[in-house]
Amino acid sequence: MNGEMEILEKVKRAFGDRIETAPKRERQAEIRVPLELLHPLIGYLKAQGFGHLATISCVDWIEEGEFELVYHLWSYERRFHLLVKTRIDRENPTVETIIPIFRIAETYERELHEMFGIDFPGNPNLTPFLLEDWDGPPPMRRDFDTRKYVEEKYGMVDLTKELWERQEPILEGENGED
Amino acid sequence: MGIGLKNLLNPLDAVKYLFKKPHTIRLPYEPKVIANRYRGIHVNDWDLCVGCGNCARICTCQAITMVPVEGIEPKPGSTNLRPKVDYGKCSFCGQCVDVCPTGSLKLSKNFNLVSPNREDYVFIPSKEWDSGPGTGWESDLEYSILNFERVEMPERPPEERRKDFEPVILGFSEEQAVVEGMRCLGCALCMDGCPTRMFIPQYIEAITDGDYEKSLKIFYVNNPLPEICGTVCTHRCEDACVYSKRGQPVQIRYLKGFGASRIDDRAKVLGTKIGTKRGRVAVIGAGPAGFTVSYYLRREGFDVTIFEALPVPGGMMRVGIPRYRLSQKILDREIGFITSLGVEIKYNTRIGRDIKLSQLLKEFDAVFLGVGFHRGIKMGIPGEDGEGVMQAVDFLRKVNLGEEVKIGKRVLVVGGGDVAMDATRTPLRLGAEEVILSYRRREVDMPASEEEIKEAKEEGVIFMTQTLPIEVLRDSKGKVTGVKYVRTRMEDQGPGRRPRPVPIMEETFIFEVDTVIEAIGQEPDYSLIEEEIREKLTFDRNGKRVVVDENGMTSVEGLFAGGDIVNYRGDIISAVADAVKAAKGIARYIEGK
Amino acid sequence: MERIEHFEYFIGPQHPGVTGNMSYHLWARGDEIIKMVSSVGYLHRGFEKLMEYRLWIQNVPMVPRICVPEPDVNETLYAMGVERLAGLEVPERAQYIRVLVLELARLAAYLFYFGGVAGALGLYTIPQWATGDRDYILDLFEELTGGRVYHIYITPGGVRRDLPPGFREKVKKVLKHLRERLSDYDRLFFDNALFIKRTKGVAVMTKEYALEMGVTGPNLRATGFRYDVRRGDPYLVYPKLEFDIPVTGDGDNYSRIMQRRLEFEESIRIIEQVLDMMPEGPVITKLPNPFRWKIEKNDVYVRVESSKGEFGYYIVSDGSEKPRRIHVRGPSYTHGIQVAQEMAVGLRIADVPVFLFSLDICPPDIER
Repeated sequence: MNGEMEILEKVKRAFGDRIETAPKRERQAEIRVPLELLHPLIGYLKAQGFGHLATISCVDWIEEGEFELVYHLWSYERRFHLLVKTRIDRENPTVETIIPIFRIAETYERELHEMFGIDFPGNPNLTPFLLEDWDGPPPMRRDFDTRKYVEEKYGMVDLTKELWERQEPILEGENGED
Repeated sequence: MGIGLKNLLNPLDAVKYLFKKPHTIRLPYEPKVIANRYRGIHVNDWDLCVGCGNCARICTCQAITMVPVEGIEPKPGSTNLRPKVDYGKCSFCGQCVDVCPTGSLKLSKNFNLVSPNREDYVFIPSKEWDSGPGTGWESDLEYSILNFERVEMPERPPEERRKDFEPVILGFSEEQAVVEGMRCLGCALCMDGCPTRMFIPQYIEAITDGDYEKSLKIFYVNNPLPEICGTVCTHRCEDACVYSKRGQPVQIRYLKGFGASRIDDRAKVLGTKIGTKRGRVAVIGAGPAGFTVSYYLRREGFDVTIFEALPVPGGMMRVGIPRYRLSQKILDREIGFITSLGVEIKYNTRIGRDIKLSQLLKEFDAVFLGVGFHRGIKMGIPGEDGEGVMQAVDFLRKVNLGEEVKIGKRVLVVGGGDVAMDATRTPLRLGAEEVILSYRRREVDMPASEEEIKEAKEEGVIFMTQTLPIEVLRDSKGKVTGVKYVRTRMEDQGPGRRPRPVPIMEETFIFEVDTVIEAIGQEPDYSLIEEEIREKLTFDRNGKRVVVDENGMTSVEGLFAGGDIVNYRGDIISAVADAVKAAKGIARYIEGK
Repeated sequence: MERIEHFEYFIGPQHPGVTGNMSYHLWARGDEIIKMVSSVGYLHRGFEKLMEYRLWIQNVPMVPRICVPEPDVNETLYAMGVERLAGLEVPERAQYIRVLVLELARLAAYLFYFGGVAGALGLYTIPQWATGDRDYILDLFEELTGGRVYHIYITPGGVRRDLPPGFREKVKKVLKHLRERLSDYDRLFFDNALFIKRTKGVAVMTKEYALEMGVTGPNLRATGFRYDVRRGDPYLVYPKLEFDIPVTGDGDNYSRIMQRRLEFEESIRIIEQVLDMMPEGPVITKLPNPFRWKIEKNDVYVRVESSKGEFGYYIVSDGSEKPRRIHVRGPSYTHGIQVAQEMAVGLRIADVPVFLFSLDICPPDIER
């Protein structure tokens, strides 16, 4: 346990109070960082031994108008997992690529580009990946409705009706009458 | 590692399999034994299935739809819907089986369904594919996704509570209410069980979310006595709950009581708005039916006057149910809110004596009759008349009104309903040393609710079932010294009928008691209605109950009725249901005038 | 006469030389590959999006379909993630049963792997043997869970049913059979001159390259880096079990294949320990009402050592009855796309299928 908290202390000392840390479970903690400090932090962590980039995830917080990018870093020596989180604007999502630090990020960023519509300038391979002949919006965004898209594009009717109807009470104040 | 002769020759070893029996092909042919837990095609027992729809809601592939099936009669607690499965979508996961409350749905060991027609793959499973008990993926109480045990209502210990009239139940805490309310599946089968169709899944959801104000509004849509019902209702909803088939139903009654008890100021939540309709309505009887019809008519805007013969409001809730079951505080709160809207009550006013019914019918635009059954039925045995033998309703009324009652040390109560249970537990609190209950049938036949029987036994009441009193013995001064009784045996009356108790007259025994309370039933007293009006009324076959139409109106113009004098169930919630119906009928009638 | 610079080949998506439904586009000059580009997307079913529309417990039947040869890993990961978020306790017997199921799935996946690799080399007896032996394990799964391939058995809170009577003896019988067969496999395949000659020294991956490119699992251990998630980020009851982590250090095709053969034996050892050490007790904690179960806002990353590498789930909940985001990180993501593309350069055409099979690429978990 001591070794884990030690790395969080080190990061705090190096980057000041513009980042926030929080432990999650054993062998896991998160670091929240603003976008401009993302690359320096990841480079610093790689130098500290976090050599394995497990994946890059994206969570769509549509109510707040932001995407949250999570970089999962694992250190073989310390046996510690860090979730490096940053928030980017949802309307024009752009993040500089981290291929210079982790070469494997090319494939992860390629998928995020296709699924969420995030641009990664510097990534040479942002070509179509999983979706064949796709002409719709980035599908993993929360405002993309799969059922509606299928109905519009293929003209298929949704056959699952309401399973049964439940009577609802009319309360005072809703219709003005008891 | 280099390559040697060994590496070239070793593979030849496989030739030995040329002479061995193949393990993948069985010759002579034996079909494969399918595992007992195999998840195959659905099987559904239509007699056990109630059509609650939980399988359809949990199916992740949306493969199940509930469809009505001909030939199945819906009744409270069981609809006529059955699941229809689309095998193009089903993934055979078995979660529908694990969530089925009755255990009727099962996955069989059969998986061979071959047909050139598309329609054959969508059907309503019945028992035809069943391979027998113990095969396939079955529902099990232990492994079910649902929790079949309920949170028990905490009660005061019997030794302590039998000494006073303070409430027996202690009420749920917020945590217990949330845990119990979360069990509700939202299938709404309980709504069919409730006579007034309260919106049960909605208010349970509001209570578990902590939104007590919303739950109060949902109660008052069709029940203005939620806290009273939430304490003493006969809970027909719980009998219809799907959990009751194999486990314990959700504590709907106590959750309702919990939700209602959380609001102190009902006027603030519900408002005191009065409508604009004009008219005058007289209500006879300040009981549950009377207050309900008054509440809804007053909300519409009518002027309501209640005529009550007793000096206190509440009817049977006030003078029939003992205070240790329903506290005065709850009564005051609920009745107080209704009267605060402007409902007038005239106490100590008996129709027939102080004012005539025909007068009311002339002066008011409509009259509602909700007088209830306040007269006890006598046993009709010798020695019955005189001091020391009383009717349970009279006894309980006197106790509840604070009047003096003479109770001896050893009390006999005759009867088997809820009134009899009240009549046995009250003397204990008044100082009786021993209370005996005599009932002519067996305990399992007793109409009283299970909680009351359990609580009476815990408090020390002695149950003598299958006994029939035949004479009350008195001494020279006329005091009761005992009751002579015989035993009975149960005679089977054939399928579908209750067995009949037949007295064994050969041997007689004696209960040594000094007080007898009769609680074998109640009947109405229609002397309040004048001869001319009574002739025009339509009564039922027994002559005890008044017949009303779908608006709650009797055969006499402008006279409506509800409560025990109309329905056959005889509880508070049925009176509320009749009154809700009658309130709508009265409003329509007055507007049509 | 025109000089032809290079040929273009397409292998896949339906091809015996590819491990699943994915395709590779090769440029070869003569017999030597000069460029390879992978093309995935034939198996994209959109699971991550579909899982956002369903209640927490409705996702349990969806999840095993993400990886076809080894579906239990997905079920375990989903259950572990949800248990972390909701704070559920899993009974100990259920944890032992989960280890048993995971290791049996690993054995089945390795048998599939041996069949695939041998088939790529042209030794067609081994796939027949391996599929037959795998069937014994599928029979065991049918006894235990009710399904042969998609078990839908591990659920948040524990496992769905207890062991049926007589199951222990059946498992022990199958393990005995597999041990005997392993010596047959050795003589026919692992000690076969053909196999050694064709796979030794081909497609060498160095340890630094593997670490840089995020390769995990047996492929990483074959390069000499002794790391296993069961020891590095332990889960379930693995800390109580005794097993070694073998390492074959050369990093070529031969190493990768022998690595899995050594791990096969270790898995049999683990299963025998689990059968002896399993305590009595309940196997599931009751969940609250599935239609109204809400999990408070939190997120967690859980990982499990599957037969192909590190399998990870990142589950995010936002306080409602449905998950906000479930991100599935398949192990073949790294070595199936970039590593295969870069390392295929310089190989001969005939070595490409053997190389791809030896990496054990599973297209369903790349594409979900």
